[in-house]
Amino acid sequence: MTSIDLALAGVSLGAIAALSGIGLLVTYRTNGVLNLAQGGIATLVAYVFREMVVEWNLPIWLAAVFSLAVVSPGIGLLLERLVFRPLARRRASAAESLVASLGVLVLSLGITAGIWGLGSRSDAPSIFPNSSVRLFGDTRIGVDALAELVMVIVFAGVIGLIAARTAFGRQIRAVVDDRQLAELSGVPADKVAAAGWAAGTTMAGLTGILLAPRFQLTPYGLTLLVLETFAVVVAARLSSMPVAVLTALGIAILQSELKQFTLHGDAGQILTVLQSNLFIVALLVLLLAVPKLRELGSGDSGATASFSSRGAPPSGRVSGVRLRQDYLGKLGGGALLLAPLTFAPSDLRSAFMVPALALIFLSMVIVTGYSGQLSLGAAGFAGLGALLSLKLANGDLFGLPAMPGIVSMFVGALFVAPIGLITGYPAIRRRGLTLALTTFAVGAVVSRFVFEQPTFATGLYLDPLSLFGWELSEKAFYVFELICLGIGLLVVRNLHHGRLGRALLALRDHSEGAAAVGVDVRNLKLLAFTVSSVVAGLGGALLVHSSYSFSADDFAPLQSLLWFTAVVVFGADSAAGAIVAAAFMVTIDVLAPAGSSTLAIGILALALGWMPGGLASAVRGGLRLLAQYLADSFVDPNQRAPRPVPVRISAVGHLPATTGITGLTGIPGIGSTLGAARAGHYARWPLSGSQDGLPADAPRLTPFGASLVAMVQQYTAAQTAGARRRQATDPDGAPRPTVPRPAGPTPTGAGAGAHPAEGGRA
Amino acid sequence: MSRHVLQAVGLVRRYGGLTAVDHVDLVAPPGMITGLIGPNGAGKSTLFSLLTGVEQPDEGKVVLGSTDITKMRPDIRSRRGLVQTFQVPSLFPTLTVADNLLVGAENRRRDYAGGLLGLSAQGRGRISHSAERVLERLGLAPKGPVTQIVEEVLDSLGLSDVRDTIAGTLPTGALRLVEFARALCARPDILLLDEPASGLDSEETAKLSQLLRRTAADGVGIVIVDHDVDLVFSVVDQVYAMVGGRVVASGDPETVRNDPTVRSVYLAQAPLAAAGHSGEAR
Repeated sequence: MTSIDLALAGVSLGAIAALSGIGLLVTYRTNGVLNLAQGGIATLVAYVFREMVVEWNLPIWLAAVFSLAVVSPGIGLLLERLVFRPLARRRASAAESLVASLGVLVLSLGITAGIWGLGSRSDAPSIFPNSSVRLFGDTRIGVDALAELVMVIVFAGVIGLIAARTAFGRQIRAVVDDRQLAELSGVPADKVAAAGWAAGTTMAGLTGILLAPRFQLTPYGLTLLVLETFAVVVAARLSSMPVAVLTALGIAILQSELKQFTLHGDAGQILTVLQSNLFIVALLVLLLAVPKLRELGSGDSGATASFSSRGAPPSGRVSGVRLRQDYLGKLGGGALLLAPLTFAPSDLRSAFMVPALALIFLSMVIVTGYSGQLSLGAAGFAGLGALLSLKLANGDLFGLPAMPGIVSMFVGALFVAPIGLITGYPAIRRRGLTLALTTFAVGAVVSRFVFEQPTFATGLYLDPLSLFGWELSEKAFYVFELICLGIGLLVVRNLHHGRLGRALLALRDHSEGAAAVGVDVRNLKLLAFTVSSVVAGLGGALLVHSSYSFSADDFAPLQSLLWFTAVVVFGADSAAGAIVAAAFMVTIDVLAPAGSSTLAIGILALALGWMPGGLASAVRGGLRLLAQYLADSFVDPNQRAPRPVPVRISAVGHLPATTGITGLTGIPGIGSTLGAARAGHYARWPLSGSQDGLPADAPRLTPFGASLVAMVQQYTAAQTAGARRRQATDPDGAPRPTVPRPAGPTPTGAGAGAHPAEGGRA
Repeated sequence: MSRHVLQAVGLVRRYGGLTAVDHVDLVAPPGMITGLIGPNGAGKSTLFSLLTGVEQPDEGKVVLGSTDITKMRPDIRSRRGLVQTFQVPSLFPTLTVADNLLVGAENRRRDYAGGLLGLSAQGRGRISHSAERVLERLGLAPKGPVTQIVEEVLDSLGLSDVRDTIAGTLPTGALRLVEFARALCARPDILLLDEPASGLDSEETAKLSQLLRRTAADGVGIVIVDHDVDLVFSVVDQVYAMVGGRVVASGDPETVRNDPTVRSVYLAQAPLAAAGHSGEAR
């Protein structure tokens, strides 16, 4: 084939990428949300289209109209109404919108996989006939390429005209600049946003339908293909549509042109990979070359403070009760982790995944939860750890001698450190969306150029692990995993305590402020990325041993997105949350069909709109509320001691998390919606009665509280007296309930319940 | 401990065709309050960013004591004793007030790796630290120098009551105070304050100027940029007045107040063409 033929062959793919890029830009410019779910929606629509044509035998044109005019915009409208409008209403940060779109991605993947399974299908129908038109001489261009090109020009032209020339275009710009201000000026912001979403998802659907017949149709594969087209919008710096279109065509044609070259040896192999992966390479290169995208709004500072469900652990002395509760929680958690040791062998084997996955999740807690950097490349680090440790164990790396399996895991994980360090460098200057995309691109490139390459990832063999010549049984392996998890937890603990912990939290909360008082922002970011990569590497090494094989799919770039979403859902700054998330995903995947955990995480992610700190924070908030409620029913709000401090708790239900950053009020809160806002209040009214601050004397109790206390005292007095009496007379007395319960609403109790302290809090 | 002088020598910063800061010289000695005034767009904020290291000058240098710090990042400058506060208070909203101050107090060193291994929280070596840990668990820990500074600052600024309050819940006035306290905990030679009075009511502003005087009396040099000309003139020892990127007048408050250029700018009596005629830095 000549250069021109190759170029024309590339046009089709380029045009599809351009359509995807247009869709992304439309959504971004109208809503300020970079729709990471684009790939998932494209895949879902492609499956729907295939279902209608292949299974229901509808004519292609009807199926296309239905998919593109009903299903795709419908998805967009639903998303806008149910997910993104509430976020925009409470001025959620860009990071929160990003997570929400990740949630949509995970959900759409879960739906697709749930309905149609994970297998690949090669019978995706094509809208256009498989024929070509003669251009000149022998040169022909496919009808599909021609039609796609026309679509790109028409769509780009129409959207460009609307944006530049019409009142609607002005309204769009107003809404994106300041939604509330626009609404005050009479702009129908919701309609504008909805139109943007509908247009964006329609383009996504179109992309999916056009891409599907060119490749095997698999949920993950097609999604990733669409994600790769993000290179196009990065080149456009999230704003210029012509640049996006030209870049799409350029990359696709270049990729096609590469096919005329053949090289031998290592270079040849790289070339082969490039021939089908130029988009993902372009994504990484562009992200490294473009330090700052034209992010809308403040492009807020990673803004992961919004993921945090709480601040630092108190540095003062912790009360004995609190400490005991902590230890109890830890003991309980430990017992649960040890429980699989009693399982049947097959169940124990399923449980192998939990500590491994938990370690990988912990690595994300370090980067995202503690230091506030968005990182979507965890699968890359985990996979590298796995691969390097296997190579070390096989004696196949840098001529190093074969190491015992256990040693190789730790050494392999340490070898990931330099790569984590290098990935950390872009994070010094990048934040938010740009950083998220950069880390994703790193993971994707590593996956394509290393994990999927036969030179690196074949001929590996897994020896059974042994320690001092003693082969590890399955139980022993699980214990070994727990020890590794313990090491990871120790690292996390040290990162969260003392000077280092405070410095990291300061960095997360306000990086300029941290720099202003001497926190070494640059090195701390590098440290976080490096440590996190090592922890992820260790997790990956364990994961391989627990699934008995190295598979590139286990460490595919989409896994990073799924895992990241899971971590955020369960509380990005909660180590316990990471472990629970791992147990949750493994359990669901064992009990339910494949892909169910994806679906579950997706659903939970969308619920994040209602519980900003993730599940961990919701649980914490719930406990606090309960404690608050109990405290309120015991203590009369009107008779409390005057507050010692003239501090008001924000009335909106959130702590103003970013007070220092943007100076706006009512910005999404850190912490749980309910719990954290009351934390300050609760902190001054601890439950344990002996501490100062709590009015323990009788007049300050509510009538209900007083009567309850009296009842308890009476009851216990009666109990002890009774017990003594029984001990003396009747040794086999019937056991009695130990917890006193008020039998019914006492006259005073009903009154106390009616005014639960709201007045005292305002 | 001798404190360092902050000097700006011939600073220039251009944005495209606009010269925002035009050959500015400035000396801020320790123990004195230096004010920086000027109308909007005079280049005050740009000069401030050049001093803090947020931006780099096109020409000239910034010197702290005898060290040229022009190329240093803000955090390094801070560790060397040049500490700033922000126009919008920049606390760490999820930390308590005491922890905010601790971050300020304990980052003159940067050996974070020790913390990762659970070692040397106070930089006193492994064994003494373990011993300290044990003592801490028993509630007998001696107060380290870092905690001591924090307690002193909390006390002297009357913040002891809010020491365990989450910073994000404080009202603006308190936020300013805590940010100032955090900066003090970093033991600055020179404090750079960017509009410290914005968002404060008159009572709070009065308290602030008292506080500034007290801090300067302790030997800390203060550079203050503020729109509140009354505050600046009431509290400073010397003033630099900027117009159009240049320093048009400098000296003690009385001299600057009576300077014809300054009067013309603030009273809008004459065109700004006279800018630059009077002496630059002394």
